[in-house]
Amino acid sequence: MSTALSVILLLFLVTTAAVAIKLKDLLAAVIVFSAYSLMMAILWTQLRAPDLALTEAAVGAGITTVLFVVTIFKTARREDD
Amino acid sequence: MKKALVLMALALIAVVFIYAIGKMPPMNGKDTPDKTHVVPRYLEKGEEEAGARNIITGIILNYRGYDTMGETTVIFSALAAVIALLDREKRRRSRSSVDASKVETSTVVRTVARFVLPVVVLFAVYTILHGEPSAGGGFQGGAIIGASIIIFALVWGLPEATDRMPLGARLPLESSAMLAFLAMGVIGLAYGVHFLTFILPGLSAGVAETVRSLMLTVIEAGIGVGGGIIFVSIVFAMMREDRYELQQDRK
Repeated sequence: MSTALSVILLLFLVTTAAVAIKLKDLLAAVIVFSAYSLMMAILWTQLRAPDLALTEAAVGAGITTVLFVVTIFKTARREDD
Repeated sequence: MKKALVLMALALIAVVFIYAIGKMPPMNGKDTPDKTHVVPRYLEKGEEEAGARNIITGIILNYRGYDTMGETTVIFSALAAVIALLDREKRRRSRSSVDASKVETSTVVRTVARFVLPVVVLFAVYTILHGEPSAGGGFQGGAIIGASIIIFALVWGLPEATDRMPLGARLPLESSAMLAFLAMGVIGLAYGVHFLTFILPGLSAGVAETVRSLMLTVIEAGIGVGGGIIFVSIVFAMMREDRYELQQDRK
């Protein structure tokens, strides 16, 4: 059961990482990236590292997202080719 | 030409990495260095040597204490770099482009934020103070505190947020992470033991226990408050826009 969950989470992790790189809309990329952090946080608890999970959820999903969104508001939303 | 060079550099790095991975001890091996002496030492002597009931806290604040102290300077220099580029706010109530917008925040968002924010702050305080016996600690709690203030700034606007958290109040707290760490570390030196020793010699068992617990709490609270306030200052500096501040001045 727990292995199946881990496999699903890892697949999601790789998918979100690839999508975040490929997206040209930076705001969408940031949202996908925060989903990546959330997956990572759940995986840390699966690996019995609650401290890391808390940090990942607070810093990875929360703070970096806010910083990226503020930066996008101040610069451009679309990536140039 | 440029592409070929990049590919060659990447291939070189890949070869080095794959070689290094081949040299690493096998995962889950029974007699790898971490299983033979690092982990047993931490598990057996962690509590008496590092002085924390939670082994992770013991490792972070004592065995790897210098590393954590360096991390507090890292977040402080992040703030210094942002301030060097973007400058501090010039007046008490700063404005951002979001505040200049005519669309008001919806009642749903306001009401939800009003009910959720106190709980978030309470959870942050719990994470900081309970970081010593259980999972959590200063960095995590500080991040949650910072996030709650950012939500406030997003819902009620930057002028309101900068008014409630003025520069004068944030300035002395930004360095508290590093200062709390240093102050608690020096106490050990004063007692003639190593820097960052939490179990002081020459005290009765009960007193030593209280002092140990207090020192760890001061460090965790220092990191929490310092980290949270640094994050708030960084985001305020990034959100603020001078042209709207000047407009406000003319009114």
